[in-house]
Amino acid sequence: MSDFGDDDVGGGADETMYEEEDGGEFYDPEVLDEDGEQQQNGDNDDNVVVSGDPSAAANALKGGDKILKDKKIPESDRTTTPYMTKYERARILGTRALQISMNAPVLVDLEGETDPLQIAIKEMREKKIPLIVRRYLPDGYYEDWTCEELLQ
Amino acid sequence: MAVAASTDSPVKQQLVDKLPKRFKGIKFGIQSNQDIANQAVLEVSDRLLYDIENNRAPYRHGPLDSRLDCGRVLLEEPERRQFLKELRRPFLDNLRRTQICKKINEQCRVLKLAHDKFSFYNKSTSAKKVPPESKVKFDNSFTEARRENPELDKHLRKAMEDLNPLRVLNLFKMISPTDCELLGLDPTEGRPEMFIWQFLPAPPVCIRPSVAQDNASNEDDITTKLADIVWVSGMIRSALQKGSPVQTIMEQWEYLQTQIAMYVNSDVPGLQQPGFGKATRGFCQRLKGKQGRFRGNLSGKRVDFSGRTVISPDPNLGIDQVAIPLLVAKNLTYPERVQRHNIEKLRQCVKNGPDVWPGAQQVIKKDEGGYKISLKFGNRDFVARDLTPGDVVERHLEDDDVVLFNRQPSLHKLSIMSHLVKVRPWRTFRLNECVCGPYNADFDGDEMNLHVPQTEEARAEAINLMGIKHNLATPKNGEPIIAATQDFITAAFLLSSKDRFFDRKSFTYMCMHMMDGKTHLDMPPPAIIAPQALWTGKQLFSMLMRPNKESPVKVNLDAKCRAYKARPGQFPDMDPNDGWLVVRNSEVLCGRMDKSTVGSGKKDSIFYVILRDFGPDEAVIAMNRLAKLCARQLTNRGFSIGVGDVFPTEKLKEEKENLVSVAYKQSDDLIETFKQGKLDKAPGCNMEQTLENSISGILSKVRQQAGSYCIDTLSRNNAPLIMAQSGSKGSDINVAQMVALVGQQIIGGSRIPDGFQDRSLPHFHKNARQPPSKGFVKNSFYSGLFPTEFIFHAMSGREGLVDTAVKTAETGYMSRRLMKSLEDLSTQYDDTVRTSGGGIVQFQFGADKLDPVDMEGSAKPVHFQRTWTHAESLTWDNNEASMTPDEIRSFCNSVLENERRRFVRRGLLYNELLDYEDASDYGIDEHESARKFLTTIESHVEDLASKLERVRKLAGFEGDVMVRPTAQDHADRTAKVSVSTLGLFIKLCLEKYKKAHVEPGHAVGAVGAHSIGEPGTQMTLKTFHFAGVAGMSITQGVPRIKEIINASKAISTPVVKCPLLNDQQIEAARVVKGRIEKTFVSDVLRFVEDEWRTTEGNVVLQIDSDALSDMHLGIGSYDIAEAICKQRKLKIQREDLSIDGERIIVRVRDVSDTAAKRATARSKSAAEESGDMLLRANFLRRALPSVPISGYPEATRAIIQTSEQGTHQVLVEGYGLRACMTTEGVIGTKARTNSVMECRDVLGIEAARTTIADEIGEVMGDMGIDPRHMQLLADVMTYKGEVLGITRFGLSKMRDSVLQLASFEKTPDHLFEAAAGMKTDQIEGVSECIIMGQTMTVGTGAFQVVRRLGIQPRDLKQRPTAFEDAWAAESMIKRKTRRKV
Repeated sequence: MSDFGDDDVGGGADETMYEEEDGGEFYDPEVLDEDGEQQQNGDNDDNVVVSGDPSAAANALKGGDKILKDKKIPESDRTTTPYMTKYERARILGTRALQISMNAPVLVDLEGETDPLQIAIKEMREKKIPLIVRRYLPDGYYEDWTCEELLQ
Repeated sequence: MAVAASTDSPVKQQLVDKLPKRFKGIKFGIQSNQDIANQAVLEVSDRLLYDIENNRAPYRHGPLDSRLDCGRVLLEEPERRQFLKELRRPFLDNLRRTQICKKINEQCRVLKLAHDKFSFYNKSTSAKKVPPESKVKFDNSFTEARRENPELDKHLRKAMEDLNPLRVLNLFKMISPTDCELLGLDPTEGRPEMFIWQFLPAPPVCIRPSVAQDNASNEDDITTKLADIVWVSGMIRSALQKGSPVQTIMEQWEYLQTQIAMYVNSDVPGLQQPGFGKATRGFCQRLKGKQGRFRGNLSGKRVDFSGRTVISPDPNLGIDQVAIPLLVAKNLTYPERVQRHNIEKLRQCVKNGPDVWPGAQQVIKKDEGGYKISLKFGNRDFVARDLTPGDVVERHLEDDDVVLFNRQPSLHKLSIMSHLVKVRPWRTFRLNECVCGPYNADFDGDEMNLHVPQTEEARAEAINLMGIKHNLATPKNGEPIIAATQDFITAAFLLSSKDRFFDRKSFTYMCMHMMDGKTHLDMPPPAIIAPQALWTGKQLFSMLMRPNKESPVKVNLDAKCRAYKARPGQFPDMDPNDGWLVVRNSEVLCGRMDKSTVGSGKKDSIFYVILRDFGPDEAVIAMNRLAKLCARQLTNRGFSIGVGDVFPTEKLKEEKENLVSVAYKQSDDLIETFKQGKLDKAPGCNMEQTLENSISGILSKVRQQAGSYCIDTLSRNNAPLIMAQSGSKGSDINVAQMVALVGQQIIGGSRIPDGFQDRSLPHFHKNARQPPSKGFVKNSFYSGLFPTEFIFHAMSGREGLVDTAVKTAETGYMSRRLMKSLEDLSTQYDDTVRTSGGGIVQFQFGADKLDPVDMEGSAKPVHFQRTWTHAESLTWDNNEASMTPDEIRSFCNSVLENERRRFVRRGLLYNELLDYEDASDYGIDEHESARKFLTTIESHVEDLASKLERVRKLAGFEGDVMVRPTAQDHADRTAKVSVSTLGLFIKLCLEKYKKAHVEPGHAVGAVGAHSIGEPGTQMTLKTFHFAGVAGMSITQGVPRIKEIINASKAISTPVVKCPLLNDQQIEAARVVKGRIEKTFVSDVLRFVEDEWRTTEGNVVLQIDSDALSDMHLGIGSYDIAEAICKQRKLKIQREDLSIDGERIIVRVRDVSDTAAKRATARSKSAAEESGDMLLRANFLRRALPSVPISGYPEATRAIIQTSEQGTHQVLVEGYGLRACMTTEGVIGTKARTNSVMECRDVLGIEAARTTIADEIGEVMGDMGIDPRHMQLLADVMTYKGEVLGITRFGLSKMRDSVLQLASFEKTPDHLFEAAAGMKTDQIEGVSECIIMGQTMTVGTGAFQVVRRLGIQPRDLKQRPTAFEDAWAAESMIKRKTRRKV
């Protein structure tokens, strides 16, 4: 079925054939566990282990580290949308629901609610979620937006 | 494959940080011999696998040595996972050699390795070539042999140097490090000789497990191959020791090489002996293909917590629910963490155990390393008692858990959505029929899959992003895709009929159908009060939208129903068929519910309006109500089809007979005239085609007429007719086929072809062209088909089946390619669309940052008309005064001025202020689309103002002065614009526009690929459509899309469209056509003859100058002569041509004169032949008329197309855009070609991009895809500066991620190349992240979530160390003592 005359698969043409049983969907975007909580000023790469000469790697990191800290855009100069995107909303709710499910103190009146996700939604409605969205621009600079600031 | 693995710093014991490790990149490379040796555990030197004496234990030093244990190795010493075996002779892998050679040859020519060293010398035809020194030396090496064996001489030319691996190795070793860099190798990382295996690494046993059967064991192919290799090298070793003849050793060496090549890639061309047992599986075979490692195990993996079973419908479920069988619910679990709120519930679950729902499967304790307690055994009460917060209970699925639901083929993102669980008895998954659309599911035995997200985060993301509620509209164009289907539409259609009335009892009963008795109802006043209070069906729908006064849902909608036909001079809402739906503040005023108002695929539907104006929650509630109402009502009413429904009346039969006989008569007449050859040809067709066309026209009209007559005569209560009219199932044609007649059967776009000699079936006479013999079925399905008719119908049906089968494969592959090349495009926080590597594809998505899913109009963010009626209905107040037109304008201006202030225009270079309206290139910026939107609002308000102005003038205003007293009332009734309405309107517009912006992080690429790929599967494979002119067809459908996205150089139907400067007169068009189309000498020739004199012979061409001037080609005899000269084949010298008025005289000369000069042995005989002057003259006389004198070489033909408005344009079949553009009479700036590649060559990359977007748009025009998706595709194909196809060649130029390319096609090739080039994969893209199991940078991965740590400045100060006090005390004492001293 290849368009180029040659078949990619040696044996048969099933490489490009379409099959109904093909369940090759990527549906479960894996979420980095709690990486949000530990990071304040550090880079997002501190869980990367560099192979090779350790001292050289450390030196290389030092240079980059300094710049990274300076890459925060001050609050007054932020340019990105003041609205919370649906992805931010989903992830914040997820992170907060996880925290609540692990017995984190709840910041709103429960009113009999027990589902962590529902509690998180309630907190979001009341703008009580203590999380910050760090939006990275393509050049590596980032803006920090608190949940209170972001409009919905 | 070297991996950036962890190395612990040995300096100091550190606090264990439990952060998960993350791969930052994968480096591909080659291992040096040293590395291979170092990694080795042991040397495999024995062929035998098992020690038979020793209870079949694996042999020491055999390929299955147990020390090759993977479990130990992976945990402790990753480096040890391989072992080695020394080969007696170095070895060069075939595949790698070709790659190296190619590199060496092409890239730098530092050194050249080839078997045929002197090919350049040998091939050179230079007379004074000097053999290089080495060549002499090489040749001299044969002298001895030649003396011995004289026969060798003739083979000497073919002598080549044998480049055996050992030689190559030595040559490679001599390459200097600087040359290595030229070869593309980093000398510190690898050297060319490392490509030659001197040691062969063998993988651990777990990679190639043996399958033990009771007495024998089945070994992996790799193991057997390894054993062979070991055996051969053992043979070589012993042969070397013994001193066997060179011949044998060479043979064995050769065999060894073959074996090793097979070990890596078992289908190396030329190595696999056909019919020699089954093919072995080498490493390459393990990786490649759909079931291979990359596509089968890395890009897609097997999962736990999933289920699959048959689906069935249940209208009583909410549309966001899925019913899960109890059995499934008990097997699928969710790990819920115990906390203070849920501990009691989970205790109960634990007590219930795995067999009682709602129970639990097992408990994972939080302490002591998280050990698991299975609840199948042991005392569950103890476990329940000991449950503490922090433990995890794997409990059964419960109601309102979040699950993902999926049906294959998963063609777009709506094929997998998240539902809420409803646990129910029995064995099937059940869903509301409204949700069939996105899954493309029906209930004829379809199965669907279900997955349970296992973390809180996964659930939150699933329900917020993939939830039914958030996917009511398709991202393809924003149309609702989840809406009422089939029976719901039928029921709604029946209910909303004008003649449906209900008394109080049945009305409230039906309201309860939809509300479940939980919602408060505010009964509307009855439509008919006396003699009995009656409510209409339409009021039922008002209740459905807004059951009580507290409900915020106030729908305002004007929409045409399915059957509505506009009649001039008639107000739409006065349609006699009730075909215009008007809803005001959720009250249905007129109109009927049908497919276009409650179904999917129309933006004028009730649910879409609710979704847009009141949010998805309200839309879902309304849809649930409709599902329940319709299902229950239809159950009570009953709806069925019987034979009585398809019984034709006598009159209909008569009418049909009449129509058929007239048509038969007409076609007989046509055939008769055709046989006489008197048929008038249609333009661009031959006589046969003309006949076919006219007969098809007559026959299709028969069905149409009979069909419409049948529809008109059928009862209004006819079930098939109701279904066809409401749009729930079937069409008018289907009804007509059952009742009246089936009609003409078509195969391949024409009538049934002849399958037998000169006839379609032996039942007919030969060469019969009568309707019945070519597939016309005059019977209906009710009356029954004749045998011949039946087979024609079956043939036509089969064609459709074949078409679908072929189509699925073709479009599936197309979707896959589209997806692979667009997958990692996403919008960033600076609104650009970039690839994962940061390459900019678009500065703003679709040039206006708008998301197609939020488009209310067609590709427009706001439907102004509806928004205005909505604002008007919401704010209507009789007491509020209307504004004057000038007030309207100034109010609008003042509101918009606030907005405009945000889009101040500044210069690109110096940031100076520019005029707001500045349209020059210098002032262009990113706010253009926003400004344009403000202008559209303004123009809409201007329309309102001018309408009011007009009305006021008619009503009797003069300026602001009322002439007539009723003027104000009159104007208010027709065109009132109040302040609050206008204010709300502008606010709504601006809000909608703001909401419609595409959100940063959105995977626009993937959505675009889905939006193009999914409709592709619905397209018929081969549709040809005629571009207004008969005989001119343009490839359409899937083949055309394939052509475009493959960026094919030669397309099947290239067409250049040339608009004309003068498009009114046909003569002008003819002139242009003549200039473009090829003209030959014969077209302007009066005669050609030869003249003979004693001294010479001439061929004379007499040009018809009248004909020539009629053609307006702008050429004369001289140009014709020139054209003849230019024909190389004729070999006519310029001096042999002379022009005498209209006569062109060609002197016949003996060609051999000229030919003789180039006296080669071969051409001599030819010269003799052509020496005959007479022959030459004859040749010229024949050849000259076919010499082209004007027109473009690549244009096959030109056609004049006349539009309905009587304007003309010229269509040119073939290429030649450049020539067409410069033709006089053509508007060069507007000439277009449909060939992307030609457009690129002539006009450049931007023009190519526009062409791609336009062409795809044209082919998929009726699919209603948002143009932004197609623009994105066009941008992806062109953003690198050249047109790249969506193929593996184009893809490898777009991305350089090894993993992504390897997971697409040609897996081993990309891996080999990566190793040779020592590439590093940064793991940025989507494919790579999936393979490595990391978060990708789209969607929720586009940003980070952090938290304030609450660190105070004092926390960061240096703390006193433990011994600081002691030190201070010590120094104090010291100081004191010193002072004392």
